[in-house]
Amino acid sequence: MTLNQALTIINSRRERAECEIYYLVCGFEPLHLVTLLRAHLLERRADLKNVEVRHGVYGDLRGNIEAAAGSAAIASAMVLEWGDIDPRLGLRSSGGWSGEAKADILESCPQRYTHLETAIEKLAARMPVAVAAPSLPLPPIGNTIRAQSSVFELDLEQQLAAFLLRLARLPGVRVLQRQRAESSSLDARTELLAGFPYTVPFADALANSFVNVLCQPAPKKGLITDLDDTLWSGIVGETGAAGVSWSQEHHTQAHGLYQQMLGHLAGCGVLVAACSKNETSTVVEALARKDFFFNPESLFPIHANWGPKSASISRILKTWNIAADAVVFVDDNPMELEEVQVSHPGITCLQFPKKDATAVWNLLGGLRDLFGKPLLMEEDRLRQASIRASAQIQEMTGDAAAPEFLSTLQGRVTLDWSADPGDKRALELINKTNQFNLNGLRIEEGEWRRRLENEDTVLAVASYEDKFGPLGKVAVLLGAQHAGKVKVSHWVMSCRAFSRKLEHHTLEGLFQVSNADEIEFAFAATDRNQPLQEFLRSLGILADGEGSHRISRGGFRERCGVLPHQVSNPASKLTSK
Amino acid sequence: MNNLQQRIALCFTNVFPNIRQDEIPNASAASLASWNSIAQVTLLSSLAEEFGIDFEVEDFEQLDSYPLIVEYLEKKTLDA
Repeated sequence: MTLNQALTIINSRRERAECEIYYLVCGFEPLHLVTLLRAHLLERRADLKNVEVRHGVYGDLRGNIEAAAGSAAIASAMVLEWGDIDPRLGLRSSGGWSGEAKADILESCPQRYTHLETAIEKLAARMPVAVAAPSLPLPPIGNTIRAQSSVFELDLEQQLAAFLLRLARLPGVRVLQRQRAESSSLDARTELLAGFPYTVPFADALANSFVNVLCQPAPKKGLITDLDDTLWSGIVGETGAAGVSWSQEHHTQAHGLYQQMLGHLAGCGVLVAACSKNETSTVVEALARKDFFFNPESLFPIHANWGPKSASISRILKTWNIAADAVVFVDDNPMELEEVQVSHPGITCLQFPKKDATAVWNLLGGLRDLFGKPLLMEEDRLRQASIRASAQIQEMTGDAAAPEFLSTLQGRVTLDWSADPGDKRALELINKTNQFNLNGLRIEEGEWRRRLENEDTVLAVASYEDKFGPLGKVAVLLGAQHAGKVKVSHWVMSCRAFSRKLEHHTLEGLFQVSNADEIEFAFAATDRNQPLQEFLRSLGILADGEGSHRISRGGFRERCGVLPHQVSNPASKLTSK
Repeated sequence: MNNLQQRIALCFTNVFPNIRQDEIPNASAASLASWNSIAQVTLLSSLAEEFGIDFEVEDFEQLDSYPLIVEYLEKKTLDA
């Protein structure tokens, strides 16, 4: 994006009154970066709002971090440059580059990093913070020629890397990949003239990276892979299990790389299934080989048959209980991809480029972007096992599990009412769940933190486990309590927890812990929340004369029946009211 | 307005979105309240991008009105 394009985008949206606020935190004059960041945000958030990007004052990075923390921004983009770590490393200083000065720079850096870390931690407790590491070149003060690193430079880089590592481990902080174009990042003229150190193309790339990191699309949840000429090289039905390959030795390592990527994704909680036009017995024999580069047991379910792949994929989606738009399908055959795309328009179809190793490498990078998420949680590790358990339960009972059966599960429900703003899983569930979702409303992380600071807020986070294993945190209810009534604004439950009466337990817990006489739901029908609608109907929660959806304590008791699981309600901020 | 003046006027509109078209020919740092030092750098950067040229440091101090900018760019494009 050029500067003029950015200005045009901003001017085209300036009439819109409603505004989302971001904060650009830097120690230099933000000039074109603030313009480009705003334009990229407007492009990405074309859906609803105008965007304002606030910034602080020149030369006070730490003060600007504190100002951002006190602002109404929903997220911050922070740029760190060498001059912020020590002004003598910037172009506008006259502090000298003597041996003593360099020794002093190295000695004073740790304290500077500690102060910045403390300030960033406070900022990240209020809103997500994306941090860009220094991208400008250091002044030419190494004793070596430019092509050779000096000890001084490496020492600075080491301290910086340790600092960034500590930041990346802080909740709410997202460290950008280091920008690569160091040689072309500096515009010494605008730095000396106006205090803005970047070329426009570099500022554009940096702004784009910030928006990519701060406005990440919901990660995909599942990958369905073809087998022949995709998971392995060769047609197993023709060559037999021993005839297919995926190794360097057979010049088919590209398939081995893909297998390792699947293993990595499965380890991150991505659901991985296989769909192949083959005899089941042939596939079972091939997958029994011991030399795969990943554990083939992580493939669940496996559909091998001669029917259309779109039909196999329908069955896989039913087993996973997720929508096609959360899934990626990889196959080497363009015709199969098209057949699936037509039947499942929402699915992301990717061709496995079996004859082009560079394209395979790019495919793996693309998969990282489709499935990547800022933070891995315990629930990601549990997902695959719980999907298998759910499939097992469904096989045993059909869609509607009978109460007698549920009581044999030895289920334990934990309702956590502590309203911990650091609980990323609760926010993740609200922002990615579609089927059991009260109204489809999402929440930005900054708004979430502010809601939880309010003392009227009620937050229930439900975890579940039974004899088939733990599901982890699977449901979230968010509302506010006023005078004997709880108004529920958000309520979601993972599809992995369906058919276990967890939603009934949650409402029972809410009546119990809040002592409310009535619960009101900010219900809105969406094109995907039929499971939630059915649940409300089952309890007789229908729109009343005022269009509100409510249930009284007595009404709930009458209709909910006997609940099957053991429940615990640890620490509650409500019980102290 | 000739083609060069139209391109300059477009940059003015980008940087000063509230300016009226009839104000542009007489616009200057003295007449426009929003024409501050940041706007000056933004305007010349916008013009540099539009015309594919680089301004000298002293240009940032001297080119503080539409007529001066038109005169400068007419000369620059003629030289080219």
